[in-house]
Amino acid sequence: MTRKTSKSTPLHRAARLFARECKDGTLSRREFLTRATALGVAAPAAYGLLGLVAPQARAQTPQMGGTLRMQMDIKAQRDPRTWDWSELANVCRGWLEYLVSYERDGTVQPVLLESWEANDDATIYTLKLRSGVTWNNGDVFTASHVAHNIERWCDASVEGNSMAGRMSALSDGGKLREGAVEIVDDLTLRLHLSSPDISIIVNMADYPAAVVHPSFTGDDPVANPIGTGPYRPVSHDTGIGAVIERNPDHTWWNEGNGAYLDRIEFLDLGTDPAAWMAAAEGGEIDMTYQTTGDFVDLFEMIGLPKSEAITASTLAVRFNQTQAPYDNVNVRRALQMAVNNAIVLELGYNDLGTVAENHHVCPIHPEYADIGTTSFDPEAAKAMIAAEGLADHEFELISIDDNWQAATCDSVAAQIRAAGINIKRTILPGATFWNDWLNYPFSSTEWNMRPLGVQVLNLAYRSGEAWNEAGFSNAEFDALLDEANGIADADARREVMAKIQQILLDEGVLIQPYWRSLYRNKRDTILNAEMHPTFEVRYQHYALS
Amino acid sequence: MDSLSWLDLLGRLFIQLLPVWVALVAVFAFSIIYKRRLGLYGRLFESTVGMIGFALVMFWVFTALFATLIITHDPLAQFSGMRNAAPGSPVRDPAGGYAYFLLGGDALARDVFSRMVMGAREVLRIAPFAAMISFMIGISLGLPAGYIGGKLDTGLTFIANLVLAFPVILLFFLLVAPEIQNTAIPRVMAGILFLMPVLFFTVLLNARFFTQPMKRNFYVGAVLMIGLWAYSGLAFNADPLGVWGMSPNLLNVFVAVVFVNAPTVFRIVRGITLDIKTRDYVAAAQTRGEGPWYIMLWEILPNARGPLIVDFCLRIGYTTILLGTLGFFGLGVAPESPDWGSTINQGRRLLTVYPHAALAPAVALMSLVLGLNLLADGLREESLKD
Amino acid sequence: MLVFLARRIGVMLVTALCLTFVVFYLTNIPAKLETLAKTQAGSRISDSEVASWLERNGYNQPMLWRYGEWLGVAPGWTRARDDGTMRGRCYTLTGLAEPGAAPTRCGLAQGYWGNSTRFRAPVSEVIRARLGATGWLMLWVLIVMVPMALVVGVLAGMREGSRTDRALSTFAIASTATPEYVSGVVFIALFASSTVGLSPLLVSWGWIDGPVLFQGNARSALERITFWNFALPVMTVALYGMGYIARITRASMTEVMTQQYIRTARLKGVSFANIVLRHALRNALIAPFTVIMLQIPWLLNGVVIVEVLFSYPGFGWTLFEAAANNDIELLLAASVVAVLVVLITQLISDIGYVYLNPRIRVT
Repeated sequence: MTRKTSKSTPLHRAARLFARECKDGTLSRREFLTRATALGVAAPAAYGLLGLVAPQARAQTPQMGGTLRMQMDIKAQRDPRTWDWSELANVCRGWLEYLVSYERDGTVQPVLLESWEANDDATIYTLKLRSGVTWNNGDVFTASHVAHNIERWCDASVEGNSMAGRMSALSDGGKLREGAVEIVDDLTLRLHLSSPDISIIVNMADYPAAVVHPSFTGDDPVANPIGTGPYRPVSHDTGIGAVIERNPDHTWWNEGNGAYLDRIEFLDLGTDPAAWMAAAEGGEIDMTYQTTGDFVDLFEMIGLPKSEAITASTLAVRFNQTQAPYDNVNVRRALQMAVNNAIVLELGYNDLGTVAENHHVCPIHPEYADIGTTSFDPEAAKAMIAAEGLADHEFELISIDDNWQAATCDSVAAQIRAAGINIKRTILPGATFWNDWLNYPFSSTEWNMRPLGVQVLNLAYRSGEAWNEAGFSNAEFDALLDEANGIADADARREVMAKIQQILLDEGVLIQPYWRSLYRNKRDTILNAEMHPTFEVRYQHYALS
Repeated sequence: MDSLSWLDLLGRLFIQLLPVWVALVAVFAFSIIYKRRLGLYGRLFESTVGMIGFALVMFWVFTALFATLIITHDPLAQFSGMRNAAPGSPVRDPAGGYAYFLLGGDALARDVFSRMVMGAREVLRIAPFAAMISFMIGISLGLPAGYIGGKLDTGLTFIANLVLAFPVILLFFLLVAPEIQNTAIPRVMAGILFLMPVLFFTVLLNARFFTQPMKRNFYVGAVLMIGLWAYSGLAFNADPLGVWGMSPNLLNVFVAVVFVNAPTVFRIVRGITLDIKTRDYVAAAQTRGEGPWYIMLWEILPNARGPLIVDFCLRIGYTTILLGTLGFFGLGVAPESPDWGSTINQGRRLLTVYPHAALAPAVALMSLVLGLNLLADGLREESLKD
Repeated sequence: MLVFLARRIGVMLVTALCLTFVVFYLTNIPAKLETLAKTQAGSRISDSEVASWLERNGYNQPMLWRYGEWLGVAPGWTRARDDGTMRGRCYTLTGLAEPGAAPTRCGLAQGYWGNSTRFRAPVSEVIRARLGATGWLMLWVLIVMVPMALVVGVLAGMREGSRTDRALSTFAIASTATPEYVSGVVFIALFASSTVGLSPLLVSWGWIDGPVLFQGNARSALERITFWNFALPVMTVALYGMGYIARITRASMTEVMTQQYIRTARLKGVSFANIVLRHALRNALIAPFTVIMLQIPWLLNGVVIVEVLFSYPGFGWTLFEAAANNDIELLLAASVVAVLVVLITQLISDIGYVYLNPRIRVT
């Protein structure tokens, strides 16, 4: 596993505060680790604050060598900052590395950084680079390379550059703000943020934040694989597969702590899990990328045990409030009341998660307030719909054609129908669905997890946000959210959060049936390849036993 | 409650399908008694193959007709605790409904039996209708192409070959896409394709009763009224009374299926016409001074009916398979729809563990297509005996 | 004969032109272009980003003009970059960037098939590789299907009405009534599952080493075709196509068997086997031959289903991927190939018909 050293730095004041909250039980351990490490506290120290010992890598000894064959979609490559699928990043992880990484236990670990530090109000960050890192073309990795990457991330003029939004505290007018990045020396640089932002380091662990060489022109990272990692691509065929091998001409900075496998073969077997299953039975793959629904157990049955990650990922079955009849709060609330989330979880997602409460804040979020949820009352729902004069109206629920998402929406629709309300389903193919995803009157969208509860709310429900697919616009909500964003203490934030969640419930913003657990299935012989909450495939650490 | 034993299960299935058995026995009894007076249809009952085929087809026709009487549960309703339930499982909370899932539950805890039965209705609503429209188009264009020939023939044959040169599957990918649905293309195509049957009947009756203006006006008027009424509803969704109508999705599928089938029918009709137009009775009609449309529709067409009826049966089967192919690629037909193609596609993923969800509709589809093929064979044999 | 061929080729070109235009039109309606932009530049990009992407990549010109670009009769789009180098259709296709380095026109006429947006590779390369894969599949399908169909048809047709005839005809009909998406799935369950079907039995008897008898996934056949990874896809396509040919053969055979010369031969005391093999067969095979050739384009349908079902990246699979991702130039090339296959098989069927049947002459 990753074992990186970090020089002892004075502990951030907020980190001690967090540690106390965590011990009091008001802050989850996971959240504590995320936040403490985001502020520059090394993971062992963070565990130490809790009086715990950082978990060690598993006892089984990894073996050098071997080939791993994994099922994963291979999509056409493009500029890393515009990546929109984790799979794109996963292929390149062997040579394109990150400044920091987000771990399964919720910690943020240094990778190309050695350590980082924030000032008290989280507006100035000092990043220390790891020394002795070289690119596989022989260049030495320096602070100017990092500055170059940050500049690339801030460039909002590139279509689909999602890093621009994450780096907004460093940019101005769609470009890197003058003076935002200060190069102190070859291995140190300082970030000057325009506003406090504790998530900026976490954002650098996101998959589009791969660090590229200055000579990279912004096209295809496979065609010109200059990176710092121990692997290099052999072949890459969109829709078919990719082969990665250990790079014999390059000394990796982390030599000895990874790069066990000689070769990784990714096979793109399409979207049909039955085909993956057939491939696994025929011995053509050892591991799946992500398994859902019945297949989690089925793969286990044929000798590929499951690996689980508990997350705050979910499916938001949201109404668009700018469109009739969903501009009527009674209609939205009635439809919510018609759906029993527990049954949707059972029938639509095979009970592989926990029931959610229609406000998109998860119990694993530190600021989660337990305020209950919408009552399940199909009769009242029907009466409310009739009272609004929509007894004969046919509602339409749109979803993407992905297996589990379609099944979940079918379940939601079946519940609404069982309440005596007319509804029909529409399924759109993946390529088409995204054309209009923000504007469908009633549809479902997959949301991956964010470490903090406010993060998704900021992205998806604040007035005028680009991804506000619910068309939700509520001044009180925005004001409360601003307030919550400025409260570092989880308990204090929880009080505001209770109000925020209540507004979301009162306004009937979405039907959110469950928080889903993520699974992958892999053979027993594969080590260090547990499912990651953000779908990372760090094959540089995988090994065969 | 325990699960049903196999014997019990079969008994219950038999009872559930009682209306179908009654109707089948009635039809067969009637047909066999009066078979001498029923022409080609009656002669079908001379051939074992034909009878088996006919029985299979009628089984599904009656199942579709009486579907609401037969089903045990709402085909779209989901029952907690019944995911992938085995055939004959008791429903956990029947709430006054039928107490068992006779053929088990699918991956979304819906009753496989009810979905299969309602699926028959879905399939038999689209396939024969699409085949019929294809035939009318093929006949309306194939007759003049073969009979008149010349430039008309060259032009129409070229267009038919053009459509036939298109791989069916590519055409479906292009036409049955959600983006296309929102354009005018399906409406325009429907506007042209659905106009054909109306024209066909108008010309058919006009040619027959040309000499009796009273009768003609009545028939043609009636056809035009009903035809244009249906036409406005089906093609443009503009039926003032709201009786006729098709969802954009269904229309899209329908148009694509008709578009693919019509050229083949055209070629068959044209070939037969070329053959028949050299016969003596056509020459006789020409000397009598009959108009070309009368000769085509009332002299040539009736004499071409044998091969056409046979092909019609085969084509319904082929269309059924084609609709299933669409379901396989997730194109067209509405989600949740119990039609067999989509249910097979959904069920096949779990086939190795829970085979019932895919096997029931697969057996249904195969038996219907098999029935249609056997029926066509029987008809062919009997019509050759003339 | 030459005139005949020339005319057929002329018709072929006109047909291909018409069809590619239809494909071009259907893939270039605005909603489809938006889909393309979203699959290329990121699924959650905003409308203004879509517009700017389309503009930057030359999709904003009138459709007819761009069809002309594809054909090579209209000059390709160009755009100067900030740093003085050029972007444009012809610059991308030739890989040049200096102003004026690339030709003005670069379409079919100049031999450029364009670039696949889905596979990020030249269309000609993609099509060539995939057609090769499908070629193997088709070859094996024909090797399995044709003899099987002919044997079934001949056996059934030589004694009409016999029990063999009934049994084989029913089998043939049943096989045409079993579409590929049913038979393929059933085959996988029967032969390629370690939990149900034959494989667990064989394993418990110790007859096979691996967990399954056949591979339910044909991806490995891309590198090496073996009996174990190719049997199921081949059988699936062959079974559905077989029934039809068998029935035509049977019909043709029964007709031949009632002919005068066969009756004469029988009266002369020639053995039945001899009659079938030496007298009846040649005449009985004329009809099936034409059907087999015409059947090839129909097999394409099955090939798409089977290649998707068994994840075998051949031509059908490419067609599916291209259509699902609105890969315009790949779809165009695929439709050209498909049209050529249809028309060439028709041509062979016509010529073969003439060759087999000396009573007909091409005029």
